Amino acid sequence: MGLRESAARRAVQVTHVLVVEVPGWGLTRMRVESELARRGWTLATSPADADVLLVCGSPGQQLDAACSQLWSQLPGPRARASVVSADDVVPTFTRLTAELLDEAAQQLDANTRSREPVSASGDSVMAQPVAHSEHGSDEHAMPMDMPTHESMDMDMDMDMDMDMPMPGGIPLASGGPDRDGLEMDVLHVPLGPVLPNWPAGLVVRCALQGDVIVHAEVGFMSAAAGSLGVGLAGAGSFRSVEDERRRAVIRLSDAAVNVLALSGWSSAAGRARRIRDDVASGTALIDVATRIESLAARVKRSLLLRWGLKGIVADAASGAQRIGYGEAQSAHARLVEWLDEAGRSARDTAHSYDPPDFPELEPKSLQLIAGLVTGTDVASARLIIASLALDTSLLAASGDVHS
Amino acid sequence: MTGEGMNQAWVLLAPVLLGAIALAGAALNGALAARAEGRPALSGSARPMLEVVRLMRQRRRVTVAADRLLWRIGGMALLVIALLKTAVIPFGPWILADIPVGLVWFNAMDVMVWAAIWLMGWGANSAHALAGGYRFLAQAASYELPLMFALVTPAVAAQSLRVSEIVDAQQSLWFVVWMPVAFLVFCASVLAFSAWGPFATAASGDIAGGILTEVSGVDRLLILAGRYALLATGAAFAVALFLGGGAGPLLPEWFWTLVKTLAVLAVFIVVSRRFSGVRPDRLAEVAWVIGLPIMLLQTLVVSIIVAVRG
Repeated sequence: MGLRESAARRAVQVTHVLVVEVPGWGLTRMRVESELARRGWTLATSPADADVLLVCGSPGQQLDAACSQLWSQLPGPRARASVVSADDVVPTFTRLTAELLDEAAQQLDANTRSREPVSASGDSVMAQPVAHSEHGSDEHAMPMDMPTHESMDMDMDMDMDMDMPMPGGIPLASGGPDRDGLEMDVLHVPLGPVLPNWPAGLVVRCALQGDVIVHAEVGFMSAAAGSLGVGLAGAGSFRSVEDERRRAVIRLSDAAVNVLALSGWSSAAGRARRIRDDVASGTALIDVATRIESLAARVKRSLLLRWGLKGIVADAASGAQRIGYGEAQSAHARLVEWLDEAGRSARDTAHSYDPPDFPELEPKSLQLIAGLVTGTDVASARLIIASLALDTSLLAASGDVHS
Repeated sequence: MTGEGMNQAWVLLAPVLLGAIALAGAALNGALAARAEGRPALSGSARPMLEVVRLMRQRRRVTVAADRLLWRIGGMALLVIALLKTAVIPFGPWILADIPVGLVWFNAMDVMVWAAIWLMGWGANSAHALAGGYRFLAQAASYELPLMFALVTPAVAAQSLRVSEIVDAQQSLWFVVWMPVAFLVFCASVLAFSAWGPFATAASGDIAGGILTEVSGVDRLLILAGRYALLATGAAFAVALFLGGGAGPLLPEWFWTLVKTLAVLAVFIVVSRRFSGVRPDRLAEVAWVIGLPIMLLQTLVVSIIVAVRG
């Protein structure tokens, strides 16, 4: 037992946490991320990578179902918690550590779980070799990476030959003409609601050929009804000009974190995140101004980044304009603009302050995202969506949106 | 100990040393990441060992209808490939198998990485993992030919495919001096076949970890360790091909090999952090239209020099 305990104590020093942001709880999520960095813990990229499932906010029904599925995919030892207010973050982390260290409870958890993967309906797949009875159980709540389960929607079942082999209860992918006129398998894969650097609550259900999105439908998983207020308390307290500026810098640098991380530049993303967290924890704006400017200069200098983001423009069918942007702008231009604006906001000491405008988001405008990402590959689609810097907290109370 | 006896001991020592060098690389990466996040660099350098403990403690998992056999083969292959590569890498006076086609052996091993990473993507029966596999194959199609010519160039200069003879041919002048393009292409290819730094898109966060999406526990550990081991063997081979192997003043050959290998590995890790990701679809154009012709020109220049000198 001595060895087990000492191993466990070492393992929890580098815990990986899968963070689920409920729309409206962005500030809590940022507080969680800064606490992770302080402890040397890591954001998990998928449930398989995670020791902890941490839900920021009170999820609505669909998002809650998605969280349950994610929870079933954590390998274990595992722990689960939800934080609502930013003040709860530190005590929650302490409790999670204790839970991960509790050998007896973890053993019990491991013994009561099946070693086989769990299907969408929550039953062990092995228990029902031909899982034909389970369609539509909760196909809207599919989390990010249930295997090719996604292909189990109704219209596909219609024209499916009943003799077709169904490994693990999953029908084989059907073919379709690709953009070069060849036949290629079509996979039905939802992006979101839980992915690294992804807008909270957004779900883009894609039909993929290779990694090209040939068709997309957009849904939204909202917060629990009546749960807001707590999460948005932060927003109301930003009143003075100084606070307004602070909020703008946080918002802009958080948007920059996402684009930088998705473009594969983790060290620059880390710098943007530290700027954001320092501003959120009360560092004087004038003190971070230099750091923002040097990050902006670094980003502008990077030819590799410019080349990598070349041609990533959210303007298909002028959907971006209708979402609320004045003109089509490349992801790179937008990133540079955010960082410049953040630098100005931090440096500026004028008494009046005009915060930069991010588009007002309506449930309707979410549907336009489908047009923006159709025909692009997944990497571009992720960057296009990140470059919109969607603030889904505006939709948090609007209820779930089905596509 | 006699030379023969030492060479036999080296059989046992080589994998240990490979592990130690790979761990040193991981520790450096952890230290840099910790410093960037505002924590003490020393705490970051302990991180790889803590991660090992964490992953050993974590349960393995499977997905619905996974192709388990191929998936597990892919997962453990990187480490095996790295070990097989060490067979032809001279460490000072010692070398496990100084075969006449050592260079070809190294190249054959890095082609096996294609299969390993594709199987990781395929076996999990997960769309994200599959996308990671696609990305790696697209990337591999871009780097493989420039890499082959980068490997051929020192062989042309030394007029041998035997790695020890390539090292001996550099006693007067290191190959890096008169074939810098081949050296740079080789280094970039090492990063690419290790799916590391700017070439890590097969395992990047935008597809939830790609080839790593569904693996946990010891399976994940083997893959992550395999990537560091591939980087380490790549650095060691760069030393043999371009940096004079064990050549250096005063100190013994093995010492110079070790120092140079660690230095190249450190450069790989430090420099990688400065770059954003290179998307495989964009890399293809540059690699074939610019990279390959420049590389061929380098090989041509070296061939002409060798022919003129007789």
